[in-house]
Amino acid sequence: MEEQDYILFENYLAGDLSADQILDFENRLKTDQNFKQAFTIYKQLSTNLEHEIGNKNKNSDFKANLDGISHKYFTKLEDQEHPIAVKKSFNFYKLAIAASIALVMGFFAYNQFSGGANYSDFNTHDTIDFSVRDAEGNIGLLIKTTKAFNNKDYKKAKAYLEELLQDDPDNVEYNFYYAITNIELDEFAKAETILDDISQGSSAYNNKAKWYLALSKLKQEKEAECKTILLTIPKDADDYNQALKLLNKLE
Amino acid sequence: MLSFFKFVGNKGFMSQKKIHEDQKYVDGLVNNNAFIIQAIYDKFAPKVINYIKQNSGDADNAQDIIQDTIITIYNQGSQKGLQLTCPFDAYFFLLCKRKWLNVLKKSNNKEVTINEETLSKDDDAYQLSFETSVFEDKQKLFNQMFQKLGDACKDLLQATFKIKSMEEVAKSLNVSYAYARKKKSLCIGQLTKLVKESPTFNQLNY
Repeated sequence: MEEQDYILFENYLAGDLSADQILDFENRLKTDQNFKQAFTIYKQLSTNLEHEIGNKNKNSDFKANLDGISHKYFTKLEDQEHPIAVKKSFNFYKLAIAASIALVMGFFAYNQFSGGANYSDFNTHDTIDFSVRDAEGNIGLLIKTTKAFNNKDYKKAKAYLEELLQDDPDNVEYNFYYAITNIELDEFAKAETILDDISQGSSAYNNKAKWYLALSKLKQEKEAECKTILLTIPKDADDYNQALKLLNKLE
Repeated sequence: MLSFFKFVGNKGFMSQKKIHEDQKYVDGLVNNNAFIIQAIYDKFAPKVINYIKQNSGDADNAQDIIQDTIITIYNQGSQKGLQLTCPFDAYFFLLCKRKWLNVLKKSNNKEVTINEETLSKDDDAYQLSFETSVFEDKQKLFNQMFQKLGDACKDLLQATFKIKSMEEVAKSLNVSYAYARKKKSLCIGQLTKLVKESPTFNQLNY
Protein backbone atom coordinates (compact mmCIF):
# COMPACT_ATOMS: atom_id res chain seq x y z
CA MET A 1 0.00 0.00 0.00
CA GLU A 2 1.05 3.59 -0.64
CA GLU A 3 1.06 6.36 1.97
CA GLN A 4 -1.96 7.81 0.19
CA ASP A 5 -3.93 4.64 0.85
CA TYR A 6 -3.39 4.78 4.59
CA ILE A 7 -4.42 8.43 4.65
CA LEU A 8 -7.53 7.46 2.72
CA PHE A 9 -8.29 4.69 5.27
CA GLU A 10 -8.11 7.21 8.08
CA ASN A 11 -10.32 9.72 6.28
CA TYR A 12 -12.87 7.04 5.51
CA LEU A 13 -12.98 5.86 9.13
CA ALA A 14 -13.21 9.43 10.41
CA GLY A 15 -16.15 10.09 8.06
CA ASP A 16 -14.29 12.85 6.23
CA LEU A 17 -14.92 11.70 2.64
CA SER A 18 -17.51 13.14 0.27
CA ALA A 19 -20.33 10.94 -1.02
CA ASP A 20 -18.49 10.37 -4.31
CA GLN A 21 -15.27 9.51 -2.56
CA ILE A 22 -17.08 7.03 -0.36
CA LEU A 23 -18.57 5.37 -3.41
CA ASP A 24 -15.12 5.09 -5.02
CA PHE A 25 -13.65 3.75 -1.80
CA GLU A 26 -16.28 1.08 -1.38
CA ASN A 27 -15.99 0.04 -5.00
CA ARG A 28 -12.29 -0.42 -4.58
CA LEU A 29 -12.92 -2.56 -1.49
CA LYS A 30 -15.04 -4.83 -3.66
CA THR A 31 -12.61 -5.14 -6.52
CA ASP A 32 -9.13 -4.88 -5.01
CA GLN A 33 -8.34 -7.75 -2.64
CA ASN A 34 -5.05 -6.28 -1.39
CA PHE A 35 -6.70 -2.97 -0.67
CA LYS A 36 -9.48 -4.70 1.21
CA GLN A 37 -7.10 -6.82 3.27
CA ALA A 38 -4.94 -3.85 4.23
CA PHE A 39 -8.03 -1.86 5.17
CA THR A 40 -9.34 -4.71 7.35
CA ILE A 41 -6.04 -4.90 9.23
CA TYR A 42 -5.89 -1.11 9.54
CA LYS A 43 -9.39 -0.97 10.97
CA GLN A 44 -8.76 -3.79 13.44
CA LEU A 45 -5.51 -2.18 14.55
CA SER A 46 -7.37 1.08 15.21
CA THR A 47 -9.98 -0.73 17.31
CA ASN A 48 -7.25 -2.58 19.18
CA LEU A 49 -5.34 0.63 19.97
CA GLU A 50 -8.52 2.33 21.05
CA HIS A 51 -9.12 -0.50 23.51
CA GLU A 52 -5.54 -1.01 24.74
CA ILE A 53 -4.65 2.66 25.11
CA GLY A 54 -8.01 4.42 25.35
CA ASN A 55 -9.44 2.00 27.93
CA LYS A 56 -6.22 1.45 29.82
CA ASN A 57 -7.64 2.33 33.23
CA LYS A 58 -10.83 0.40 32.69
CA ASN A 59 -8.82 -2.64 31.56
CA SER A 60 -6.56 -2.61 34.57
CA ASP A 61 -9.54 -2.23 36.92
CA PHE A 62 -11.06 -5.28 35.27
CA LYS A 63 -7.87 -7.30 35.59
CA ALA A 64 -7.48 -6.38 39.26
CA ASN A 65 -11.06 -7.39 39.98
CA LEU A 66 -10.66 -10.65 38.08
CA ASP A 67 -7.37 -11.37 39.82
CA GLY A 68 -8.99 -10.99 43.22
CA ILE A 69 -11.97 -13.23 42.41
CA SER A 70 -9.76 -15.87 40.81
CA HIS A 71 -7.37 -15.89 43.75
CA LYS A 72 -10.18 -16.25 46.25
CA TYR A 73 -11.86 -19.03 44.27
CA PHE A 74 -8.72 -21.12 43.95
CA THR A 75 -7.60 -20.57 47.54
CA LYS A 76 -10.99 -21.78 48.74
CA LEU A 77 -10.74 -24.77 46.42
CA GLU A 78 -7.34 -25.67 47.77
CA ASP A 79 -8.55 -25.38 51.34
CA GLN A 80 -11.40 -27.75 50.55
CA GLU A 81 -9.09 -30.29 48.94
CA HIS A 82 -6.25 -30.14 51.46
CA PRO A 83 -7.71 -29.36 54.86
CA ILE A 84 -4.31 -30.05 56.47
CA ALA A 85 -4.70 -27.63 59.31
CA VAL A 86 -8.04 -29.09 60.33
CA LYS A 87 -6.78 -32.68 60.21
CA LYS A 88 -3.70 -31.92 62.25
CA SER A 89 -5.54 -30.16 64.99
CA PHE A 90 -8.09 -32.94 65.05
CA ASN A 91 -5.40 -35.56 65.67
CA PHE A 92 -3.80 -33.38 68.21
CA TYR A 93 -7.14 -32.93 69.86
CA LYS A 94 -7.72 -36.67 70.05
CA LEU A 95 -4.34 -37.37 71.55
CA ALA A 96 -4.10 -34.57 73.98
CA ILE A 97 -7.68 -34.02 74.98
CA ALA A 98 -7.11 -34.29 78.68
CA ALA A 99 -4.10 -32.04 78.77
CA SER A 100 -5.75 -29.42 76.60
CA ILE A 101 -8.70 -29.00 78.94
CA ALA A 102 -6.32 -27.75 81.57
CA LEU A 103 -4.52 -25.64 79.00
CA VAL A 104 -7.70 -24.09 77.66
CA MET A 105 -8.90 -23.25 81.14
CA GLY A 106 -5.56 -21.69 81.91
CA PHE A 107 -5.76 -19.71 78.68
CA PHE A 108 -9.16 -18.33 79.55
CA ALA A 109 -7.98 -17.42 83.02
CA TYR A 110 -4.99 -15.64 81.51
CA ASN A 111 -7.21 -13.82 79.03
CA GLN A 112 -9.50 -12.68 81.82
CA PHE A 113 -6.68 -10.88 83.51
CA SER A 114 -4.63 -9.68 80.58
CA GLY A 115 -7.43 -7.94 78.72
CA GLY A 116 -7.65 -10.44 75.89
CA ALA A 117 -6.37 -9.34 72.55
CA ASN A 118 -2.90 -10.11 71.28
CA TYR A 119 -1.34 -9.20 67.97
CA SER A 120 -0.09 -12.77 67.63
CA ASP A 121 -3.68 -14.07 67.64
CA PHE A 122 -4.42 -12.10 64.49
CA ASN A 123 -1.25 -11.89 62.41
CA THR A 124 -2.03 -14.81 60.13
CA HIS A 125 -1.26 -13.12 56.81
CA ASP A 126 -2.59 -14.40 53.52
CA THR A 127 0.16 -16.20 51.66
CA ILE A 128 1.33 -14.34 48.60
CA ASP A 129 2.38 -15.47 45.18
CA PHE A 130 4.18 -12.83 43.18
CA SER A 131 5.70 -15.39 40.82
CA VAL A 132 2.58 -15.99 38.75
CA ARG A 133 2.31 -12.59 37.16
CA ASP A 134 3.29 -11.64 33.64
CA ALA A 135 6.87 -12.09 32.64
CA GLU A 136 7.56 -8.42 33.24
CA GLY A 137 10.16 -7.62 35.86
CA ASN A 138 12.55 -9.80 37.73
CA ILE A 139 10.99 -13.25 38.15
CA GLY A 140 13.85 -14.49 40.36
CA LEU A 141 13.33 -11.62 42.76
CA LEU A 142 9.56 -12.13 42.76
CA ILE A 143 9.99 -15.79 43.68
CA LYS A 144 12.50 -14.96 46.42
CA THR A 145 10.11 -12.37 47.85
CA THR A 146 7.21 -14.81 47.79
CA LYS A 147 9.23 -17.49 49.59
CA ALA A 148 10.66 -15.18 52.22
CA PHE A 149 7.27 -13.65 53.05
CA ASN A 150 5.42 -16.97 53.20
CA ASN A 151 8.19 -18.44 55.38
CA LYS A 152 7.79 -15.46 57.73
CA ASP A 153 11.37 -14.36 57.07
CA TYR A 154 10.31 -10.72 57.21
CA LYS A 155 13.81 -9.25 57.27
CA LYS A 156 14.59 -10.82 53.93
CA ALA A 157 11.12 -10.14 52.55
CA LYS A 158 11.50 -6.48 53.49
CA ALA A 159 14.81 -6.18 51.66
CA TYR A 160 13.42 -7.86 48.54
CA LEU A 161 10.29 -5.71 48.56
CA GLU A 162 12.47 -2.62 48.80
CA GLU A 163 14.20 -3.75 45.62
CA LEU A 164 10.87 -4.34 43.87
CA LEU A 165 9.58 -0.95 44.97
CA GLN A 166 12.61 0.77 43.50
CA ASP A 167 11.48 -0.25 40.03
CA ASP A 168 7.79 0.09 40.69
CA PRO A 169 7.27 2.56 43.55
CA ASP A 170 3.51 2.95 43.03
CA ASN A 171 2.65 -0.74 43.03
CA VAL A 172 -0.09 -1.02 45.66
CA GLU A 173 0.41 -4.73 46.24
CA TYR A 174 4.15 -4.39 46.91
CA ASN A 175 3.52 -1.41 49.18
CA PHE A 176 0.86 -3.31 51.08
CA TYR A 177 3.08 -6.30 51.83
CA TYR A 178 5.99 -4.00 52.55
CA ALA A 179 3.85 -2.38 55.23
CA ILE A 180 3.06 -5.80 56.76
CA THR A 181 6.74 -6.73 56.96
CA ASN A 182 7.33 -3.40 58.69
CA ILE A 183 4.68 -4.17 61.31
CA GLU A 184 6.28 -7.54 61.88
CA LEU A 185 9.66 -5.86 62.36
CA ASP A 186 8.20 -3.20 64.70
CA GLU A 187 8.80 -0.37 62.23
CA PHE A 188 5.36 1.05 62.94
CA ALA A 189 5.74 4.59 61.64
CA LYS A 190 6.85 3.41 58.21
CA ALA A 191 4.07 0.83 58.03
CA GLU A 192 1.36 3.23 59.09
CA THR A 193 2.30 5.95 56.61
CA ILE A 194 1.93 3.45 53.77
CA LEU A 195 -1.26 1.90 55.11
CA ASP A 196 -2.82 5.33 55.64
CA ASP A 197 -2.24 6.08 51.97
CA ILE A 198 -3.61 2.77 50.74
CA SER A 199 -6.67 2.89 52.98
CA GLN A 200 -7.65 6.25 51.50
CA GLY A 201 -7.25 5.02 47.92
CA SER A 202 -9.68 3.03 45.82
CA SER A 203 -7.63 -0.12 45.25
CA ALA A 204 -8.67 -3.63 46.20
CA TYR A 205 -6.43 -3.24 49.24
CA ASN A 206 -8.06 -0.26 50.92
CA ASN A 207 -10.06 -2.22 53.49
CA LYS A 208 -7.22 -4.63 54.11
CA ALA A 209 -5.02 -1.62 54.78
CA LYS A 210 -7.46 -0.47 57.49
CA TRP A 211 -7.34 -3.88 59.10
CA TYR A 212 -3.56 -3.88 59.19
CA LEU A 213 -3.50 -0.33 60.47
CA ALA A 214 -5.60 -1.60 63.38
CA LEU A 215 -3.22 -4.53 63.88
CA SER A 216 -0.28 -2.16 63.96
CA LYS A 217 -1.97 -0.20 66.78
CA LEU A 218 -2.78 -3.46 68.56
CA LYS A 219 0.84 -4.59 68.46
CA GLN A 220 1.80 -1.27 70.09
CA GLU A 221 -0.96 -1.80 72.66
CA LYS A 222 -2.72 1.39 71.54
CA GLU A 223 -6.09 -0.20 72.06
CA ALA A 224 -8.29 2.89 71.81
CA GLU A 225 -6.80 3.83 68.43
CA CYS A 226 -7.11 0.23 67.33
CA LYS A 227 -10.82 0.24 68.15
CA THR A 228 -11.45 3.49 66.30
CA ILE A 229 -9.90 2.06 63.15
CA LEU A 230 -11.70 -1.27 63.45
CA LEU A 231 -15.01 0.56 63.46
CA THR A 232 -14.25 2.01 60.01
CA ILE A 233 -14.02 -1.44 58.37
CA PRO A 234 -17.18 -1.99 56.31
CA LYS A 235 -19.31 -5.13 56.45
CA ASP A 236 -18.37 -6.36 53.00
CA ALA A 237 -14.62 -6.28 53.73
CA ASP A 238 -12.77 -9.61 53.72
CA ASP A 239 -11.51 -9.00 57.22
CA TYR A 240 -14.81 -7.85 58.69
CA ASN A 241 -15.31 -11.00 60.79
CA GLN A 242 -11.79 -10.86 62.13
CA ALA A 243 -12.30 -7.20 62.93
CA LEU A 244 -15.48 -7.99 64.79
CA LYS A 245 -13.73 -10.72 66.76
CA LEU A 246 -10.93 -8.41 67.75
CA LEU A 247 -13.37 -5.68 68.66
CA ASN A 248 -15.21 -8.07 70.97
CA LYS A 249 -11.98 -9.06 72.64
CA LEU A 250 -11.04 -5.45 73.18
CA GLU A 251 -14.38 -4.58 74.75
CA MET B 1 -22.90 -21.18 7.02
CA LEU B 2 -24.90 -24.37 7.29
CA SER B 3 -26.52 -23.39 10.56
CA PHE B 4 -27.33 -19.97 9.16
CA PHE B 5 -29.32 -21.51 6.34
CA LYS B 6 -30.96 -23.88 8.75
CA PHE B 7 -32.08 -20.93 10.78
CA VAL B 8 -33.28 -18.93 7.84
CA GLY B 9 -35.25 -21.97 6.76
CA ASN B 10 -36.97 -22.16 10.10
CA LYS B 11 -37.62 -18.57 10.91
CA GLY B 12 -38.09 -16.83 7.63
CA PHE B 13 -36.01 -14.49 5.60
CA MET B 14 -34.95 -11.43 7.56
CA SER B 15 -34.21 -12.89 10.99
CA GLN B 16 -30.70 -12.99 12.30
CA LYS B 17 -29.26 -15.71 14.48
CA LYS B 18 -30.73 -15.46 17.92
CA ILE B 19 -28.51 -14.16 20.69
CA HIS B 20 -28.30 -16.70 23.48
CA GLU B 21 -29.46 -15.64 26.94
CA ASP B 22 -25.95 -16.41 28.20
CA GLN B 23 -24.88 -13.19 26.48
CA LYS B 24 -25.30 -11.80 30.01
CA TYR B 25 -21.94 -13.35 30.93
CA VAL B 26 -20.16 -11.55 28.09
CA ASP B 27 -21.90 -8.26 28.90
CA GLY B 28 -21.13 -8.72 32.59
CA LEU B 29 -17.43 -9.13 31.85
CA VAL B 30 -17.37 -6.05 29.63
CA ASN B 31 -18.99 -4.06 32.44
CA ASN B 32 -16.60 -5.47 35.05
CA ASN B 33 -19.51 -6.88 37.03
CA ALA B 34 -18.00 -8.76 40.02
CA PHE B 35 -21.17 -10.75 40.53
CA ILE B 36 -21.03 -12.14 36.99
CA ILE B 37 -17.30 -12.86 37.18
CA GLN B 38 -17.91 -14.80 40.38
CA ALA B 39 -20.78 -16.69 38.73
CA ILE B 40 -18.54 -17.69 35.82
CA TYR B 41 -16.09 -19.20 38.29
CA ASP B 42 -18.76 -20.96 40.30
CA LYS B 43 -20.58 -22.39 37.30
CA PHE B 44 -18.01 -23.02 34.63
CA ALA B 45 -14.59 -23.36 36.27
CA PRO B 46 -15.04 -26.85 37.82
CA LYS B 47 -15.38 -28.55 34.45
CA VAL B 48 -12.25 -26.83 33.14
CA ILE B 49 -10.27 -27.66 36.30
CA ASN B 50 -11.26 -31.32 36.00
CA TYR B 51 -10.30 -31.45 32.38
CA ILE B 52 -6.88 -29.89 32.98
CA LYS B 53 -6.19 -32.13 35.96
CA GLN B 54 -7.02 -35.20 33.90
CA ASN B 55 -4.69 -34.01 31.17
CA SER B 56 -1.30 -33.58 32.86
CA GLY B 57 -2.11 -30.27 34.58
CA ASP B 58 -2.86 -28.98 38.06
CA ALA B 59 -5.03 -26.36 39.74
CA ASP B 60 -2.41 -23.63 39.16
CA ASN B 61 -2.45 -24.34 35.43
CA ALA B 62 -6.25 -24.22 35.47
CA GLN B 63 -6.19 -20.89 37.29
CA ASP B 64 -3.97 -19.32 34.61
CA ILE B 65 -5.88 -20.82 31.69
CA ILE B 66 -9.25 -19.68 33.04
CA GLN B 67 -8.00 -16.19 33.82
CA ASP B 68 -6.42 -15.75 30.37
CA THR B 69 -9.57 -17.01 28.70
CA ILE B 70 -11.77 -14.58 30.62
CA ILE B 71 -9.47 -11.69 29.69
CA THR B 72 -9.71 -12.69 26.02
CA ILE B 73 -13.51 -12.75 26.16
CA TYR B 74 -13.47 -9.37 27.88
CA ASN B 75 -11.19 -7.96 25.18
CA GLN B 76 -13.25 -9.32 22.33
CA GLY B 77 -16.50 -8.29 23.99
CA SER B 78 -15.18 -4.77 24.51
CA GLN B 79 -13.88 -4.37 20.96
CA LYS B 80 -16.04 -6.36 18.66
CA GLY B 81 -19.33 -6.61 20.45
CA LEU B 82 -19.03 -10.38 20.77
CA GLN B 83 -22.48 -11.91 20.29
CA LEU B 84 -23.06 -15.28 21.83
CA THR B 85 -25.34 -17.57 19.80
CA CYS B 86 -24.60 -20.65 21.90
CA PRO B 87 -24.46 -21.54 25.62
CA PHE B 88 -21.55 -19.90 27.44
CA ASP B 89 -20.63 -23.26 28.96
CA ALA B 90 -19.69 -24.93 25.66
CA TYR B 91 -18.00 -21.83 24.29
CA PHE B 92 -15.93 -21.25 27.42
CA PHE B 93 -14.93 -24.87 27.81
CA LEU B 94 -13.76 -25.14 24.20
CA LEU B 95 -11.66 -21.99 24.57
CA CYS B 96 -10.00 -23.18 27.79
CA LYS B 97 -9.44 -26.63 26.39
CA ARG B 98 -7.81 -25.37 23.21
CA LYS B 99 -5.63 -23.00 25.20
CA TRP B 100 -4.50 -25.80 27.52
CA LEU B 101 -3.71 -28.14 24.65
CA ASN B 102 -1.61 -25.42 23.07
CA VAL B 103 0.33 -25.01 26.32
CA LEU B 104 0.96 -28.77 26.41
CA LYS B 105 2.05 -28.74 22.81
CA LYS B 106 4.55 -25.97 23.41
CA SER B 107 5.97 -27.23 26.70
CA ASN B 108 6.37 -30.94 25.97
CA ASN B 109 6.92 -30.91 22.26
CA LYS B 110 4.48 -33.75 22.54
CA GLU B 111 2.18 -34.58 19.71
CA VAL B 112 -1.20 -33.46 20.95
CA THR B 113 -4.20 -33.90 18.77
CA ILE B 114 -6.93 -31.45 19.41
CA ASN B 115 -9.95 -33.66 19.33
CA GLU B 116 -13.12 -31.64 19.09
CA GLU B 117 -15.18 -34.74 19.79
CA THR B 118 -18.85 -34.51 19.07
CA LEU B 119 -18.69 -30.99 17.72
CA SER B 120 -18.93 -30.59 14.02
CA LYS B 121 -17.75 -27.60 12.10
CA ASP B 122 -21.11 -25.95 11.85
CA ASP B 123 -21.65 -26.02 15.56
CA ASP B 124 -22.03 -22.48 16.89
CA ALA B 125 -19.86 -23.07 19.95
CA TYR B 126 -17.07 -24.42 17.81
CA GLN B 127 -17.23 -21.54 15.36
CA LEU B 128 -17.51 -18.82 17.96
CA SER B 129 -14.69 -20.21 20.06
CA PHE B 130 -12.56 -20.54 16.96
CA GLU B 131 -13.21 -16.89 16.07
CA THR B 132 -12.27 -15.89 19.61
CA SER B 133 -9.02 -17.87 19.40
CA VAL B 134 -8.13 -16.13 16.13
CA PHE B 135 -9.06 -12.81 17.70
CA GLU B 136 -6.69 -13.52 20.57
CA ASP B 137 -3.84 -14.42 18.23
CA LYS B 138 -4.39 -11.17 16.36
CA GLN B 139 -4.32 -9.12 19.56
CA LYS B 140 -1.07 -10.75 20.57
CA LEU B 141 0.49 -10.03 17.20
CA PHE B 142 -0.83 -6.42 17.19
CA ASN B 143 0.69 -5.78 20.61
CA GLN B 144 4.02 -7.31 19.60
CA MET B 145 4.17 -5.24 16.44
CA PHE B 146 3.31 -2.06 18.33
CA GLN B 147 6.47 -2.60 20.37
CA LYS B 148 8.47 -2.67 17.13
CA LEU B 149 7.40 0.85 16.15
CA GLY B 150 9.80 3.74 16.60
CA ASP B 151 9.35 6.02 19.61
CA ALA B 152 7.87 8.86 17.55
CA CYS B 153 5.02 6.67 16.30
CA LYS B 154 4.50 5.07 19.69
CA ASP B 155 4.22 8.47 21.39
CA LEU B 156 1.89 9.84 18.76
CA LEU B 157 -0.43 6.83 18.89
CA GLN B 158 -0.40 6.81 22.69
CA ALA B 159 -1.43 10.47 22.69
CA THR B 160 -3.98 10.01 19.90
CA PHE B 161 -5.87 7.20 21.56
CA LYS B 162 -5.59 8.60 25.05
CA ILE B 163 -6.68 12.14 24.33
CA LYS B 164 -9.08 11.24 21.50
CA SER B 165 -9.49 14.76 20.12
CA MET B 166 -6.97 15.20 17.30
CA GLU B 167 -6.90 18.98 17.83
CA GLU B 168 -5.71 18.52 21.39
CA VAL B 169 -3.21 15.86 20.39
CA ALA B 170 -1.72 18.26 17.84
CA LYS B 171 -1.53 20.96 20.48
CA SER B 172 0.09 18.71 23.06
CA LEU B 173 2.74 17.55 20.57
CA ASN B 174 3.21 21.06 19.22
CA VAL B 175 2.43 20.13 15.61
CA SER B 176 -0.34 21.15 13.22
CA TYR B 177 -3.65 19.31 13.11
CA ALA B 178 -3.10 18.17 9.53
CA TYR B 179 0.35 16.86 10.34
CA ALA B 180 -0.85 14.94 13.42
CA ARG B 181 -3.68 13.40 11.43
CA LYS B 182 -1.39 12.37 8.57
CA LYS B 183 1.21 11.01 11.00
CA LYS B 184 -1.45 8.95 12.74
CA SER B 185 -2.52 7.25 9.53
CA LEU B 186 1.06 6.59 8.49
CA CYS B 187 1.94 5.09 11.88
CA ILE B 188 -1.07 2.74 11.76
CA GLY B 189 -0.09 2.09 8.14
CA GLN B 190 3.36 1.06 9.31
CA LEU B 191 1.76 -1.25 11.85
CA THR B 192 -0.43 -2.71 9.10
CA LYS B 193 2.70 -3.49 7.11
CA LEU B 194 4.46 -5.07 10.10
CA VAL B 195 1.44 -7.26 10.76
CA LYS B 196 1.23 -8.38 7.13
CA GLU B 197 4.92 -9.23 7.00
CA SER B 198 4.98 -11.21 10.23
CA PRO B 199 5.59 -14.96 9.92
CA THR B 200 2.36 -15.83 11.75
CA PHE B 201 0.19 -13.64 9.51
CA ASN B 202 -0.98 -16.54 7.35
CA GLN B 203 -2.56 -18.30 10.32
CA LEU B 204 -4.81 -15.34 11.04
CA ASN B 205 -7.61 -15.96 8.53
CA TYR B 206 -7.38 -12.67 6.65
